[in-house]
Amino acid sequence: MTAKALEIPPLPYTGEKARLTRAYDYLILVLALFLFIGAFHLHVALTVGDWDFWVDWKDRQWWPLVTPLMMITFPAAVQSLLWSNFRLPMGATLCISCLLIGSWIARIFAYHLWNYFPINEVLPATMLPSALVLDVILMLSNSLTVTSIFGGIAFALLFYPSNWPIFGMFHVPVEYGASQLTIADLFGFQYIRAGTPEYLRLIERGTLRTYGQYATPLSAFCSALLCTLMYPLWWYIGKAFATTRFVKNI
Amino acid sequence: MMKTMKALLGVLLLILCGLTFAPNTALAHGEKALEPFIRMRTIQWYDVMWSKDTLNVNDEVVITGKFHVAEDWPRAVPKPDATYLNVSSPGPVFVRTERYLNGQASVSSAALKLGGDYDFKIVLKARLPGRYHLHPFFNLHDAGAVMGPGHWFEVAGEPAAFTNQVKTLDGNAIDMETYGLANGIGWHVFWFALGTAWLLWWVRRPLFIPRYKMLQSGQGKWLITSLDRKIAMGILFGVPLFVLGANAMTDRQYPNAIPLQAGMDQIEPLPLAVNDGMVKVKVQRTEYHVPARSMTIIAQIQNTSDQSIRIGEFATANVRFLNPGVSSSGTDDADTVIAPQGLSLDSADPIRAGETRTVRVTALDALWATQRLDGLIRDADSRMGGLLFLYDTNGKRHIASISTAVIPKFD
Ligand SMILES: [Cu+2]
Repeated sequence: MTAKALEIPPLPYTGEKARLTRAYDYLILVLALFLFIGAFHLHVALTVGDWDFWVDWKDRQWWPLVTPLMMITFPAAVQSLLWSNFRLPMGATLCISCLLIGSWIARIFAYHLWNYFPINEVLPATMLPSALVLDVILMLSNSLTVTSIFGGIAFALLFYPSNWPIFGMFHVPVEYGASQLTIADLFGFQYIRAGTPEYLRLIERGTLRTYGQYATPLSAFCSALLCTLMYPLWWYIGKAFATTRFVKNI
Repeated sequence: MMKTMKALLGVLLLILCGLTFAPNTALAHGEKALEPFIRMRTIQWYDVMWSKDTLNVNDEVVITGKFHVAEDWPRAVPKPDATYLNVSSPGPVFVRTERYLNGQASVSSAALKLGGDYDFKIVLKARLPGRYHLHPFFNLHDAGAVMGPGHWFEVAGEPAAFTNQVKTLDGNAIDMETYGLANGIGWHVFWFALGTAWLLWWVRRPLFIPRYKMLQSGQGKWLITSLDRKIAMGILFGVPLFVLGANAMTDRQYPNAIPLQAGMDQIEPLPLAVNDGMVKVKVQRTEYHVPARSMTIIAQIQNTSDQSIRIGEFATANVRFLNPGVSSSGTDDADTVIAPQGLSLDSADPIRAGETRTVRVTALDALWATQRLDGLIRDADSRMGGLLFLYDTNGKRHIASISTAVIPKFD
């Protein structure tokens, strides 16, 4: 009983003050929601782009390299803000959730309703499992170094296995036009799109190709290494942009 | 304060709206967008035809045609080592079910040989009702899109009637329109629910100002409870274990999964169709008269065939200048880029078998300007290319791909 009582945190505000600060919470959350949906979605559309848009771009080499590397950016920045100032371990999950809301809006409206692509051809990838793990690593370690190393690695390595249950079935082979294709490739052939013919995919090039079956794990480890560097970089970017001036006035 | 908030919110909404326009799939008919020398001296289309132009959802239309790959490929354009024969349409209103290059089924990119002759066949199946302008076109790696001639198609029927069944190599028939959709949405909903639960776990408590105050006053230890830690430990081990388990199950479910295919199709050019050696055309001088919008080509034509021949047509960048005195094949009067009276010669006499004669060919029409081909006189590469069609007395056709520098005349 006494142990339980000790667990109850002291409340800094009560009554009218509590109500006001709660209203402020909601205001910030709604603004953050719009900001992250817009800005993070733009960032991903510009950097990951076609890899996230089209099922026939989700290859085993570049997709698992580029996606985590570009998607750890905002989560790191927002974690730095929310954890350092408020001890809220939800920056990554918040960012990735917002990104997914933005992606789904774009896929349904821009890709499906206005440009007629079937939604299964333009399913976004998910990074939520990676984001949840990144958040709890930061919370449990309370350390930028530990989160950079272990969080960055986990974020990248979890990407491919999290998405394989969604996209694996698009890699079933089909005989088409006297060739063996994946169903994903067939989407690229059948559903006409002018801007992105298949040769533009940067797939299966370079030295990683030499390792054949191991292309995905090698890409994932490469991405993990880069994520451990990307994470602290964006942590400090987040720190530079964050200001607590507005709180000090209250 | 309220004003700034509103302004901020407005900007954010604008960004959001702007982003949804992201896909670059529409390609707003770039027929005239490329520089004239690219349109005239790369892929030279001819004989492009369509089997029908009014159809119902699920009906198929066959587009056939030929093209010559210019010998005088512009120096500024990368060589056609990776090219993709595509169709320009406002999104996938048709699906491409088959494609052939030189009779060979082809679904991937291919390299083209300079001076090579090719024919193609594309089968499209109508997916959405509407009226659409379609063109065959070539995506040239690092160079852009070279459009072929376009045509309007009218599709009637119900969008819901569209079917697209495909058989996989392990024998299952699948519906391309919905394959993997429910599974994909299911996974997204599952992870989204988990993510939202984690967010709500934190958001339900007093957030920013109280937590900041407590952290600043040294009471930070109260901000993370032992229950929080237990849940976090659960996520730390539970999520990766679950992910790896689901991944292994997927591997077991689809043991024949293969990587995305990255090969290229190998297509050999046809036997010579253009510049077949029977009729040799050597251009001596070409002038473009700007106010008259007329191109005058002075060429020496050597007829080594055993029939007399007459010049019937000059075609460049999908603009066709016809000689009304010679009946030429493949005329489609509905098409707007034909100048039916556009070609005239200094002499109507045919070039007899064995004769070599210098002729003056004039292609005159406003199309030089409206199709923005006259811009070539201001280009860094002011050369023109095109196909000259000659017909003998039996109606047999000889085609010469010509290439020439162009001298402008401004008076
Ligand atoms: Cu058009």
